[in-house]
Amino acid sequence: MNKHIIRVITYISICVCLIWIIGLGFAVHEYYAGGPEKAPFSKATAKKTLNKKGLTVVALGDSLTRGTGDETGKGYVGDVIDEIKKRTNQQVTLLNLGINGQRSDQLKDQVQQKEVQRQIKGADIVLLTIGGNDLFRGGQGLIDFQTQNVGIVEKRYLDNLKFVLQQIRAVNTEANVFFIGLYNPFINLNQGKDISKVIRRWNYESAEISAAYPKVVFVPTFDLFELKVNDYLYSDKFHPNSKGYRLIAERVAALLTW
Amino acid sequence: MNKLVQNEMMKLMAKKRLLVIAAIIGVLVILFTYAQYKQVQTQQEKLGTSDWRTILQQQIIDTTNRLTSSRISEEWKKQLQTTLQQEQYYLDHNINPSEPGAPTFIRIFLENSIDLFLPLMVMVIASDLVSSEHSLGSIKLLLTRPVKRWRVLLSKYITLCLAISLIVAIAGILSYGISGIVFGYRGWGTPILTGFSVTDTGLNTSSVRSLPLWQFILMDFGLVWLVAIVVGTLSFMLSVLIRSTAAGMGIMLASLISGAILSNMVSSWKSAKYLFMVNLRLTDYLKGAAPPIEGMTLSFSITVLLVWWAIALMVAFLSFTQKDIY
Repeated sequence: MNKHIIRVITYISICVCLIWIIGLGFAVHEYYAGGPEKAPFSKATAKKTLNKKGLTVVALGDSLTRGTGDETGKGYVGDVIDEIKKRTNQQVTLLNLGINGQRSDQLKDQVQQKEVQRQIKGADIVLLTIGGNDLFRGGQGLIDFQTQNVGIVEKRYLDNLKFVLQQIRAVNTEANVFFIGLYNPFINLNQGKDISKVIRRWNYESAEISAAYPKVVFVPTFDLFELKVNDYLYSDKFHPNSKGYRLIAERVAALLTW
Repeated sequence: MNKLVQNEMMKLMAKKRLLVIAAIIGVLVILFTYAQYKQVQTQQEKLGTSDWRTILQQQIIDTTNRLTSSRISEEWKKQLQTTLQQEQYYLDHNINPSEPGAPTFIRIFLENSIDLFLPLMVMVIASDLVSSEHSLGSIKLLLTRPVKRWRVLLSKYITLCLAISLIVAIAGILSYGISGIVFGYRGWGTPILTGFSVTDTGLNTSSVRSLPLWQFILMDFGLVWLVAIVVGTLSFMLSVLIRSTAAGMGIMLASLISGAILSNMVSSWKSAKYLFMVNLRLTDYLKGAAPPIEGMTLSFSITVLLVWWAIALMVAFLSFTQKDIY
């Protein structure tokens, strides 16, 4: 080995060694430096609209939008997308923003987020499910559904719904919005009839509010699950199974235009 | 001293270890680059867009949904929550957390190799620095010279430190050069956020500030170097204490791997935080990930590592100067 090369390598090592020590000092210093004067914000602005290529579908809402209970994991949203793909050659883009257990007040917060608004703005079709968790509240709703409570809950829900639809229409005047109504998973229980009554009214009020906005279509699902409800429910007896989602998707698909 | 170091350096180069290490790093970087490339591609295919905001938004929603599952453990939940809040912060402040490009690849590579991969590479050099002299029999020749023993050992240690610095540099250069072919060589100036701190109530963002990526990577390199030096020193000590290189390597390997395993399950065993191997993930502090045990901070981890380092160095020198060599 050439002595000269060894010497050069040694000097290079010494140099990088010093650089790493500086880096280490930087790290420790930076970690304990105080907060900044103002919060960081990148000036690079997002393009106002996403580059439009094909169809964009944005799904909002709760576990139904997520597809909970569907063994295939698609949910009605996935089925609808498949249907759209069958009918068009355009590229279809889906953004599923559904969150398990989401209530209308949480959705209200969600649609106010900047990025969510930007996504809604770029959408051609908006799918929406909400309200199930407001009404049933993880089983609590079953116990006191007869009392005054339902009225209060419903009132709050309707206000939130109004806000959400307003918000969607404000950022996007063109997209068709499909708002999926509630079904009664408890129809076979003792109090099933009474619960049905509450849900029918709930759906009626929801449809009324949807009607106040252009291009918002209320899609009823109550009748789909009226007979043989257990064939269409997942083992938790609350969410639809694949067949149930398929039913909802077929109904939505029948309404689709773009 | 200069001559001694030069001599040691010559021996190191003659063994061609550094070349082997460079080759290993090169092959792995190629693998990681390909994996990363595939991941980005499938993500874009799934969402049908390359807009990072859309992808990040979908990630946030997916993480939120994972959090609603009742089957995940408390610790995992907390970690997910931290990532979630961080992602939301990035999105709200309009900063791409992983701007595509070779610099981002380097950052991710360093963050993932700090606790196992690079220490292993260092070990390859450090663990036979002294013990190989025993097995070759050259130790006697070395010590018959009119040079004090501690000077001999110090020259070996300095050489080790220089070699470690070189390895870290090689890792950086190779990962930049190779990943740049796929991801492009630009992006040193993109902003990245640091200063997140994890508290009981969640993520504290009050002291978050943005840094240019090159500065962040320099900091990462500094921390990686420190970890490499500490692990190298520990293997160096073992190489002095144990004549068999294989045994020394085995011990080091076992403790490094146990560190990787322990970090995932020590959260309730508080005193484990004094072990060196759970303190290796220093870059996580800059990134703002939840530490394996509550109450660990950057300065705590560095102190623990330095204490281990000092003890190892002391043991190595004491034992080498006192030991009978036959």
